[in-house]
Order: sequence, then C-alpha cells, then structure tokens
Amino acid sequence: MKTEIRDQRSEIRTSGPSEFDETLRMVARLSPPEGLEERVQVGLRTVSPKARILRWPEALRLENTWMQNLARAAAAAAIVAVVVGGGWGVSSRFQPNQPTSAIAVPPLVTSQGGFSSAGAMRTPQTLNGPVVAHPATVAPETAKPAAKHATKSPARQVKSAPVKTPIPPTVR
Amino acid sequence: MSAGQAVFSGWMEIADKAMHEEARRRAEEAAIAALVSQYAGTLYRVAYSVLRNASDAEDAVQEAFVRVLRHRDTLHEVRDQRVWLIRIVWNVVLDRKRRMKTRPETDDVAELARVLPAAGLSADERVAAAQHHAHVLACVEQLPAKERQVLMLSAFEELTSVEIASVLGISESSVRSRLFRARNLMAGLLEHTRSLR
Repeated sequence: MKTEIRDQRSEIRTSGPSEFDETLRMVARLSPPEGLEERVQVGLRTVSPKARILRWPEALRLENTWMQNLARAAAAAAIVAVVVGGGWGVSSRFQPNQPTSAIAVPPLVTSQGGFSSAGAMRTPQTLNGPVVAHPATVAPETAKPAAKHATKSPARQVKSAPVKTPIPPTVR
Repeated sequence: MSAGQAVFSGWMEIADKAMHEEARRRAEEAAIAALVSQYAGTLYRVAYSVLRNASDAEDAVQEAFVRVLRHRDTLHEVRDQRVWLIRIVWNVVLDRKRRMKTRPETDDVAELARVLPAAGLSADERVAAAQHHAHVLACVEQLPAKERQVLMLSAFEELTSVEIASVLGISESSVRSRLFRARNLMAGLLEHTRSLR
C-alpha cells in the first residue's frame, strides 16, 4: 500500500525536478507560525456553540425516523394548505370581469403644445399613369391590331392605356 | 401508571436527553480540537502557498475550522478528514484571493522571497536566491488558473494525484494533463525571460 502511494507521488511529479520545483516545494514546506493551533482553538471557542447549519431545534428533535418523516410530511402539508388557501382567498374576492357588449375606446389625448393632424386622414398614393400630351388620332381599323398585341403583353397595355383610378372619397 | 409517575418519568427523560446532548457536544469539541492540532499546520501551508501572507493564511485556517464547526454534525460521515479539510481551506483561500485581487501581486512575491529559508548563503547569494524565487513565483502567477492550482498542490509532498483530484473536484487524469501543461508552460515562461536578459 505504501509503495503504491509512493509510486503515485513519484508519478505526479513528472520527469526530474525543475528549477521552479524547488521554489514551490520551499513554499509548501514552510513551517507554520508559533502558537497557530492555540490561536485557532481560542478563535473556535469564541464562535457561538449553537452555530449549526439546518439543524432542528433541540425541542423538536425526534428520535424515530418515522416520526421525523411524519413531521416533515405535516410541515409540507401545512405549506401546501397555506398556499392553496391563499390562492383561493384571492380568487374568491376578485371576480373576473364580465364581457362587455361595447368596446370603450379611450379618448385621444394630444400632447400639450405639439402639432396635431387636425383630423386629416392619410390617403394612399395611387399610381398615376403617364399623361399623354397629344392624344393619338388613329383610325379605329389601325388601332385594332395594336389592341390585340396589347392583350398578349400586359406590360405594354399598361404603358399604352393608362388607367386613372378614381381617388376614393375620404371619410371625414 | 399514576399522573405523578408519568410526570416524573417525563422529567427524567428530558434530563437524560440533556445529558446526552452535553456529552455529544463535548465529544464533537474534542474531535475538532484533535483536528486542529493535527492539521492546522498543513492547512496553513496550503493557505500560505496561495495567499503568500502570514496573517491572511492564518485567517483562512481559522475560517476553515469555523466551517468545520458549523458542519460538525456530519463530521463522522467524512471518510478522509485530511483531504476534506484541505478542500475546505482551498475553497476559503480561493474566495479570499478573489476578494483581494486589488492588491498588487508583487508585494506578495517580495514577502515570500523574504520569508523563504536561505540558510548557509551569503548576503549576495541570499539576494540572488530571493530574486530567483520571486521570478519563479511571478511566472506561476502568469499560468492559467487551472494549471496553476494543480502545480501548486502538486508541490505538497503529502498529496497524491488522487487526493489533488479530490481537493479540486476533478478526475485524476485531468490532474495529470493539467500538471503536464503547467510544467511545459512554466518551462516556456522561464526560457523566454532568460532569453530576454
């Protein structure tokens, strides 16, 4: 067993000792100051003897395991009861809002001193086709093939026959 | 059983419990006192290797034993008390080191070089040795934290690789690989500074 431990210790210090090993070993071998143990003992005596973490109070300490489990279960049940009871109390006092027949719209509040739109509504910009300065005076016979050709290519139709979409009347 | 007898037996039970508690408390105190006398020195050296300040190291040892005192109920469950204590002090020391980061490292290195034994050396040799130690420790400080920690713990001859792994909470193979990297990095750092001179 001892030889195993010695092997492990020798393995971990790989290869030969380096120049930095000596310094680190000197640090590791430094002797503690005089009276360290006494000072630590005195310091521990000043710490409160009651200092413990997550320990049951003496009066509540139970010897049997099943009694401890019972106490834990009772505590858990009490917590659940408090949470559920609180939730039920809140929900019973505050009734949910009834659905309203009309939706109330809050009045528009304009900021003081700012610009207002004066009730104007924006109308979308419609596509204005090219305006022909001199309308072509072409006989209806010659215009027919052009119309036929225009049905084949809709792009041309758009160019040759501009459509003016009427602007819808704005709702005031 | 009459009511009087029941009350009497109840009082007796309470008195027995109080005596039992007192005996248990004394046993725990004796166990902790034994731990202090046995391992305070080791814990101090571990703390000093990181903090490099005597009073800080002593405070760290004190804090570690206070933590032990708080967990004294679970003391009997600890398998290897030495490694357990080193792990506690190691965590205390790292916490303190993190908090004291504002202090310049050079002060610590200078103090360590002054404290390290230099018996049988002349004044000039002593100065040269102190400078060398300070330089080595400055290089150690430049290592990445993981590698530095393994390298420092490996200097403690009483710690095996398994125990170092247990202190750091990593696997033994990680300890070996980190130590290998640390040694290579240290060799490189020392070589680099030597070439600059």
